[in-house]
Amino acid sequence: MKFKINRDHFANGLAQVLNVVGSKATMPILSNVLIEAEKDQISLSTTNLDLGIRCKIKAEVKETGSVTLPVKRLATIVRELPSVDVTFDGAPNHQVKLTSGGSTFKIMGIGKEEFPPLPEFGDEKAYTLEQSELISMLRSVSYAQSTDETRYILNGVYFNFRDEKLTLVATDGRRLALIAKEMEVPTACAGAIILPAKTVSELNRLLDKGSKVKINFNERRAAFQIATDKDTSGLIDHVYLYSKVVEGNYPNYQQVVPKETHQRIKLERELLLQCVHRAQLVCSEKSNSVKIKISSNLLEIFAASSDFGEAHESMAIGYSGPDLQVAFNPAFLMDPLKALTKDEVFFEVKDEVSPGVFKTLESFICVIMPVRMN
Amino acid sequence: MAKVRILPDRVANQIAAGEVIERPAAVVKELVENALDAGATRIEVEFRHGGRSLMRIEDNGSGMTRDDALLALERHATSKIAEAADLDRLHTFGFRGEALPSIASVSRFELQTRVTDSDVGTEILINGGKFVHVRDCGRPVGTRMEVTHLFNSVPARRKFLKTDATEAAHIVHCVRLYALASPQVAFTLIEDGRVIFRSPECSTLAERVTEIFGQQIAESLIAIDSVEPGLKLSGLIGRPGVGRATRHEMIVFVNGRPVDSRTLNYALIESYHESLPKGRYPLAFVFFECDPAAVDVNVHPAKREVRFRSEPQVRSFVIRSVLQRLREVGAPVVPVVEAQAIRPGAEATLPSGLAPLVVPAPVPRFFAATSPAPIRAALVVPVAITVPQSPVASELSNRDARPEISMTSWRFIGLAHGSYALFETSAGLVLLDRRAAHERIWFDRLVAQFASGAVTSQRLLLPIPLELDPIAAALLIDRTKFLGSHGFEIGEFGRNFFRIEAVPTWMEPADAEPFVRDVLGALRDGRLPENNLALAREELARIAAAKAIRLPAAPAEVALRALVAELFATRTPLTSPSGRPTFIELNHGELARRFQK
Repeated sequence: MKFKINRDHFANGLAQVLNVVGSKATMPILSNVLIEAEKDQISLSTTNLDLGIRCKIKAEVKETGSVTLPVKRLATIVRELPSVDVTFDGAPNHQVKLTSGGSTFKIMGIGKEEFPPLPEFGDEKAYTLEQSELISMLRSVSYAQSTDETRYILNGVYFNFRDEKLTLVATDGRRLALIAKEMEVPTACAGAIILPAKTVSELNRLLDKGSKVKINFNERRAAFQIATDKDTSGLIDHVYLYSKVVEGNYPNYQQVVPKETHQRIKLERELLLQCVHRAQLVCSEKSNSVKIKISSNLLEIFAASSDFGEAHESMAIGYSGPDLQVAFNPAFLMDPLKALTKDEVFFEVKDEVSPGVFKTLESFICVIMPVRMN
Repeated sequence: MAKVRILPDRVANQIAAGEVIERPAAVVKELVENALDAGATRIEVEFRHGGRSLMRIEDNGSGMTRDDALLALERHATSKIAEAADLDRLHTFGFRGEALPSIASVSRFELQTRVTDSDVGTEILINGGKFVHVRDCGRPVGTRMEVTHLFNSVPARRKFLKTDATEAAHIVHCVRLYALASPQVAFTLIEDGRVIFRSPECSTLAERVTEIFGQQIAESLIAIDSVEPGLKLSGLIGRPGVGRATRHEMIVFVNGRPVDSRTLNYALIESYHESLPKGRYPLAFVFFECDPAAVDVNVHPAKREVRFRSEPQVRSFVIRSVLQRLREVGAPVVPVVEAQAIRPGAEATLPSGLAPLVVPAPVPRFFAATSPAPIRAALVVPVAITVPQSPVASELSNRDARPEISMTSWRFIGLAHGSYALFETSAGLVLLDRRAAHERIWFDRLVAQFASGAVTSQRLLLPIPLELDPIAAALLIDRTKFLGSHGFEIGEFGRNFFRIEAVPTWMEPADAEPFVRDVLGALRDGRLPENNLALAREELARIAAAKAIRLPAAPAEVALRALVAELFATRTPLTSPSGRPTFIELNHGELARRFQK
C-alpha cells in the first residue's frame, strides 16, 4: 500500500479514533489503528471491542492495501512531522515507511487479519436526527448519569423512541434529567437502548461535524453515522461509531416525575446559577447542602459548614405562594443550570421532602431529590 | 467387700503425682520454681528425649541441709508456708510441699545439695519412691536434681506421653516462661547435649525477650508500665497492628508466676479490639502485680490458673492501661507532609504575623475537628468500662491521649498495584494501604458526624427495595428510629418488605442495601447495643467505613499526600477501624538486611 496525505488531515483523522483503545494487554492489536487505503481515501478504525470508531480521510492513494499501527505513537509522530506532505509506504512485512520533508520513520505494524472487524448494520431500527439537536439533548441530560459502577444500568443515557417522540433520560438515583423531542416513530421501529457513558462522551466529542446523524440500533448494539459535511480538515463521508449497549431494564422514570405542579417559580438561569455557586463555596465534604427558602417575591439561599462559615444569597423573584424551605446538594442544582442554554427556567417545589423540579419550555425536566438535616 | 484402709504413702504420692506431674514439663516447672524460690541466680536445665530419659536442673541457690533435704521428700513438707494464713501472702512459687515426693515416687530421683555453712553436700537417691541411699558428696553451694526414667513405675502414664518432640516443646516453653519471669536470673537450656538457649543475667525484660524470642519480636514490642493503688501492670506489649494467629505469644505473669488467666487474656484481647483484626491475638509479655491476698493461686494443681478477688477491677485496669499505651504510640512518625507539625490550638496562639511562614494550608482544619472531644471523653469512659459484655475499646474514650506529633517528611515515590502508596521516609520506606487509610479517615469522620448530630440524608428518586426474613424485619422495625437519626429513611412496604427512601449524603445509593443488611447482621450479633449509643454509633461507623469507600483508580500525588496528612490527623492512624495496619515501614536496617549489606 502507498498513499500521499496531508499531515493535518492525517492527524485530525487519528485524533478522532485515538480515544478508543483496548486496555487489555492480552490483545495488543487493540491498541493499534487499522489503516485501509482505498480509492482516493483512507479509513482509520480503532476498537476496544465494546466501542469502535471509523473515519475516512481524503488521500492520494497510489496503491491500495491495509496495515495496523500503534495509534498513540503514530498520532504523536504524525502531529510533529515537519512538512505538510506526508508519504505513507507500507511493505508486505507490515513495516511502514513514513516520509515527510527531511524525516523518515520506519514503524513496525501488525497485519490486518488480527484486527477485529467493526460490525456493520443491516436492517435494524434506524432514525436520522440533526446533529446539533442530538448534542444539545445529550448535554441536557448526560451529567445526571451515575458514575457508580455497581449500578451499571444507570451508567449511561437512556434513548427511548416511543409515542411519537425521542426521550433521553439519565439518572443516578438521586436526580433525574429528561428531555424529549417530537418525531415520527413508526411502530415497527419503536424501541429503547441504554447508551454507555463512554459512548456518550465519544458522541459528545464527535457530533457537530455535519448536519445529520443516523442512528441504528437493536437490543444489543447501536451505531451512529455522523456526517462530516461541515469538517474542513480532511474528513469525508461520515464517522462511524459502533457501540455495545448496556443490557438490562432501565428504571421506570415516568413514575418518578411529579405529575402535578405545586409552586412554579420563573427564574433567571444565570443568576440562580451564580447564587448557588457562590453559596456552595462554603460547603465542605461533611456538609454538602444548600438550603433554599422561598417567601413572597424573595428566594434566599443558605449554606453553612461548621469548620468554615456561612453564606447567604438572595434574589428577587415573582412569587406569592406560601413560604417554603427545602435543601439540596448544590451540585445537583448547578449541573442542569450549567447544561441548559435558555435564559429562563421554571423551578417547581412543594415541601422539604418532595423533589425540586427544573423545567424549560422545550420539554426538559430535571427532578432533584432534597436532602434533609436531622 | 473390701475393707476401708489408709493408703500407704507411696501410693498416695503416686496419686498426687498424677495431678501435679502430668508430663515431663511439669517436673521441669516444679524444679525450676524450687530453684527460683531458693534464690538462685543461675539455673541450668538439661533434658534428653523429651525429658523421658533425663531431666537435670541445677542451680546456685541456697541449697538444703541434710535434714531439710530428707524432710523435703516427705509429703506436705515445705519451707515456704507455715500456716493457712500464709496462703494469702504467698511470695514464692511453691507452697504445697507436694512436688518432690510426687516426682520421686514416679522416677529415679537423685538430689545433690549443699548449703554455705556445710563442708560437704548431701546426695539422696530414690527410685520409684523407694529410698536407695543418703551419702556425702562434693558439690558447690546449691542444688542439683536429676530425674531419670520418668514414669517407670507408672507404665500407664508413660504410654500417654506424646512424642519426644512435643514433650520437648512443652519443656522449652516452660523454661522460657520462667526465664521471662526472672530476667535477672541466668538460664541455660540444653536438649540432648545441644544448647537451646543461654541467656545471661539480663537487666530488663526487653533484653530477655530479645535473647529468647529474637530481635524481630523484640522490635515489634513496646514497653508498658502502669500503676494504680494496689495494681501494677508492666512489661511489653505488641505494637498496634502486630498480631498472631494464636495466643502462644500472649504471656501473662501474675505476681511473677506464669499463668493462664482468662480475665487477663480477655482484657488484653479486648484492648487490641481496634488495633488488630478479629481473630488475631496480640503479643504480650506482661507482669500483673497485686496484693497476694487479692489473688488465689490455689485453684489448679499445677497452679496454672489463678482467680482474682475482684475480676472486673483487674479487667478494667488492664484495659485502661493497655489502651492508653496503645494510643500514646498511635502516631510515632507522623508525616505532616513536608511541613512543620502543628499542635492543636497552636495556630490560635501564634502572633498573626508569624503564622503564615510555618502553617501549611491543609493541616489545621483536621485538628480543629478533634479539639472539642476531651469533654465528652470524660463522660464516656466510665460507662464503657463498667459494661462487661461490650467491647470496651470505645473510640470515644481517651481522646486527650493524643501523642505529640513528630516531624518527618514523606516523599511520594509511586503507587503499586493501585492500592499501595510508596513513600520514602527518613527512617526507610513506607507502604501505605490506601483502603485501610481511607477507612480510618472515614471512620473518624463518621464518628464525629454522628456525635455532632449533623447528619444530612439524601432522599432517593428510586427507593431501594429490601426484602428480609421475619427476624431481620422485626429487628429493622425495632431500630428504624436509630437508623433514621443516622440518615436512613426506611419505610415498611408490606410484610417483611421495606423501601430505603433516603440514605446519608456520603453514601452511594447502591451501597445502601448491602449496608443495611450488614447492620442487621451486626444487630443480630448484639454488636449494636441499644443502651449504649456511643458504641452503637461506633459500630455503625465501622460498617459504613468499610462500605463507603470508592477509591479513584489513578489518584494524583497531591491526593495521596492529603490522604496521609488526613490519616495522621485521626486519633489512631496506625490501624484501620477493623484493626488492620494502615501502613508498614521498612526501615534502613531491614532493607540492609534483605540486601545482605
